[in-house]
Amino acid sequence: MSPALVVLLRLGARSLRLHKLRSSLSILGVVFGVAAVVAMSSVGEGARRETLAQIAALGIDTVTVKPPPPQSGEPTVSLPLGTADSLRRIVPGVRAVAPLRVADLTADAGGRTTAVIALGTTPAYADAARLEIAAGRFLADLDVTDRKRVAVLGASVVRALYPLESPLGESVRLAGDWYRVIGVLQERASPRARGTAIRARDLNRAVIVPLPALDRGASRQADGVDEIVFRLAAPEAVVSAAVVAQALVRRTTGAAPEVVVPREILRQRERTQRVFNVVTGAVAAISLLVGGIGIMNIMLASVAERTREVGVRRALGARRRDVAAQFLVESSLLTVTGGLLGSALGLVGAILIQAFAGWPTAVHPLMLVVALVVALGIGIGFGFYPAWHAAGLDPVEALRRE
Amino acid sequence: MPPAPEPEPPLVALRDVVRAYSRGASRVVALAGVSLEIRSGEKLAIMGPSGSGKTTLLSILGCLDRATAGEHEFEGRSVATLDDDELSRLRNRSIGFVFQAFHLIPQLTVAENVETPLLYEGASLPEWRPRALRALERVGLAHRAEHRPSELSGGEAQRAAIARALVTTPQLLLADEPTGNLDTATGEEIASLLDELHARGATVVLVTHNERLGRRAERVVRLRDGRVESEERR
Repeated sequence: MSPALVVLLRLGARSLRLHKLRSSLSILGVVFGVAAVVAMSSVGEGARRETLAQIAALGIDTVTVKPPPPQSGEPTVSLPLGTADSLRRIVPGVRAVAPLRVADLTADAGGRTTAVIALGTTPAYADAARLEIAAGRFLADLDVTDRKRVAVLGASVVRALYPLESPLGESVRLAGDWYRVIGVLQERASPRARGTAIRARDLNRAVIVPLPALDRGASRQADGVDEIVFRLAAPEAVVSAAVVAQALVRRTTGAAPEVVVPREILRQRERTQRVFNVVTGAVAAISLLVGGIGIMNIMLASVAERTREVGVRRALGARRRDVAAQFLVESSLLTVTGGLLGSALGLVGAILIQAFAGWPTAVHPLMLVVALVVALGIGIGFGFYPAWHAAGLDPVEALRRE
Repeated sequence: MPPAPEPEPPLVALRDVVRAYSRGASRVVALAGVSLEIRSGEKLAIMGPSGSGKTTLLSILGCLDRATAGEHEFEGRSVATLDDDELSRLRNRSIGFVFQAFHLIPQLTVAENVETPLLYEGASLPEWRPRALRALERVGLAHRAEHRPSELSGGEAQRAAIARALVTTPQLLLADEPTGNLDTATGEEIASLLDELHARGATVVLVTHNERLGRRAERVVRLRDGRVESEERR
């Protein structure tokens, strides 16, 4: 920093301290403007990160096919098991296809009980859902063909049922049947439940068993499945794969299935996010405009008050630009202080929103840098006219002013 | 001291300087053709009743204001050809101002007030304080360096202002009623200080209507209605 800037900063800070109340009041607009921007963008950023986490859990290269929603009065339909095989053969670029039967059940072992999501599936599910095994192994083809009573447990299930010992080789009871534990899943970041179209299943609470082992009961189609998840070799193929899958299911069942394409949901989310960003940006721009006008007002008052000082400085050799620089440094000091306080307030706001509204919030570090740069810009932008006015004062007139 | 021989060029030369203002439709003539030469090392008093153009003349001598017509040279250079930045530089390096109301900047300490011209001179930060203290020593105020202007007596404030005018060692010291806001005894002190600075080689021009102060100068120029009425040398 040049010595002149150091001196001007010191001088500016002192002039502002001279009118503590006035300076504090004048930066309130900037403080609240910046705080609003930081807090609102934290909501947007939180939503974005959550979406990304959910998409990552589901996989942007996956498609989930679910049966058509039941008509009123009719029993829930399920997808024929054969659909999974047909999909594997027909959809181009398929990497893994896994049929799923899903049931909310209670599991117990050694006197402990916990609510679980029972998933009946095939070995392909490990690849389709990106499962990682922490211990033991996943289902094998033989487990399915031989209808073995084996189970792979999610991390939370292990914690609930086997807090101390290793579950491998132990038995767990699910809907009256005993299963031998053959593997444990790696802990996953659990998706938070929020009303979104892509609520990812919490696999930490899953008990995964061979597809035929999960009893469907007599009331439903015996060979039906609740979901078919397939993963493609290339993420770009998801949309065409979804179209093919939809057509296939409609032909075999006579009703259009629900097809969930996380990648498309991500796209849609990004569009919504852009709208949110524009609205946030507009609100921010308005509040910062108001803040800037407050700064301009106070700087004009300050110049008017210190006209004689301007005259004295001009007599002592200050050029016009020296006078302008002095007032610009002062207005920038005001707004950057406002930006710092506003950022802090915005961070507190983000924490409060998360605590009380339950929305996830996240502050991108770049946001804070942007907030300070914008605050500096306001100081220079709205301080420009008062500074220019001060610089243009006639020295003789200015010295004569009381 | 004998008058300097002719060959040496004057520090300041004014020839037929006119300064007129437009006030709406009317035209006010503050200076109506003033010619004046100021030599290095001189002490000159400009006197005259109020409205005679004293302060306007001082503003022009101080390069704060420009002549409407006529020639103004400083060290042989025509001031009219200088742009605003060059005039600022000239004021900073070559001219020191002392005002009737001291015009110290209230939020700065005495030393910081004295340092102000050094900011515009572009002096490197480490030399500021020693130079300011040297200037304060010259006016006998080094012990008040860390005080605020509001804590000074009138005489001390004017000493601080003189130190501020001297810190860039200007060729010309301009004082506008330097004792006008002071009681007689303190005014006498300031007058002596200016005499002393002059005796050590400073060129001093003071504007006053205080006869006692004016008579201490070796040359008195009297203005009336924007013209030089008389000039006496003693």
